[in-house]
Amino acid sequence: MALHPDYPLLTARLRLRPFTRGDVDAVHAYRGREDVARYLFDPPLSRDECALAIQQRSTQTGFLEEGDRIVLAVEKRDDEGIVGEVSLIWRSVEARQGELGWIFHPDHHGRGYATEATNAMLDLGFGPADLHRIFARCDARNVPSWRLMERLGMRREAHFREHARFKGEWDEEFYYAILRDEWLSLRHSG
Amino acid sequence: MSSLRLPIETDHLVLRPFERGDLEAVCRYHVLPTVQRYVERPTRYHEDVAKVISIMRDQVELHRPGDTLTLAMVRKGDHALVGQVSLRWSDATASQGELRFAIDPAESGKGYLTQALTALIDLAFDHFRIHRLMVRCDGRSHHSVKLMQKLGLRLEAHYREHALFQGEWDEELHFALLDREWRPSAQVVDLPVRGRVA
Repeated sequence: MALHPDYPLLTARLRLRPFTRGDVDAVHAYRGREDVARYLFDPPLSRDECALAIQQRSTQTGFLEEGDRIVLAVEKRDDEGIVGEVSLIWRSVEARQGELGWIFHPDHHGRGYATEATNAMLDLGFGPADLHRIFARCDARNVPSWRLMERLGMRREAHFREHARFKGEWDEEFYYAILRDEWLSLRHSG
Repeated sequence: MSSLRLPIETDHLVLRPFERGDLEAVCRYHVLPTVQRYVERPTRYHEDVAKVISIMRDQVELHRPGDTLTLAMVRKGDHALVGQVSLRWSDATASQGELRFAIDPAESGKGYLTQALTALIDLAFDHFRIHRLMVRCDGRSHHSVKLMQKLGLRLEAHYREHALFQGEWDEELHFALLDREWRPSAQVVDLPVRGRVA
């Protein structure tokens, strides 16, 4: 359903909030990197491209109609710097489907920030946004990415082999998904 | 690519384009609830089927991505139309194709679909140079699942409740087959090596 959350969203260690114009350098610090872009659709972004992306994101803070996306900066609560970003896209209004995404700065990997922030996005999607199913996808070679999805309690639903070309090569892609009922039972089992 | 030669013969079938006179034969199976249960666009009445046939009659070649080739399965001997198979060229950059099929339930279990799909898969890989074929089917359609396994397709996706289908939560399976996974073609021996256009 239509959704305009009150920001920031807080987790134990993190603050999730809309992007602002002052975030360009912090975003460029990770979106400009080759290793970060390897499995993303976009190539490494220039500072100007980051500025443009952030301009778009300043309005990507709620759901009004199908295709809308919420893209949020992730910060540590005790620190100002951005450690990464998370997103939720409203893929189908009728079937209440959402797609989850995340990108984190490699300097902040391995601390559980991505797990904490994406869990907050699942709570947003299944809670206030009233979604029925949330899915995410990744390149099959991106092991940390699908490990994260398994930690979130998502099931591997698809393993596509060579179903498209990706950056000049045959792709191999995983789809993971979680249903509302599965999310509920995870939250209730603690 | 040389032009497509139709009809295609298998052991027990002739695969040919649809004709205007096929209406009665197609209606016999198309409007049945057991067939309607799994089709994307309902064709519950004769006039719906007539529209579908007029579309299928034009689906005789794959000239550009998005085109579909649809063939009627006609039994040798009594010339009964028992079902239909189709191949859609879904993407050119990655040479992707999709197979679809339907059979008169009274004629299922006789190996006709196995024959027809085998011929169509040969055609897709040998003639149209498709790299990967996929088939979507409803998770409840056990006959389709068995058929896919028999033909050697891999289960690539099992979506649960990812869309509403005919008013219910769906369960959708995707099966796939790469050209190099398909058995050596039964119809073309000593295939000359040709560069594939990726």
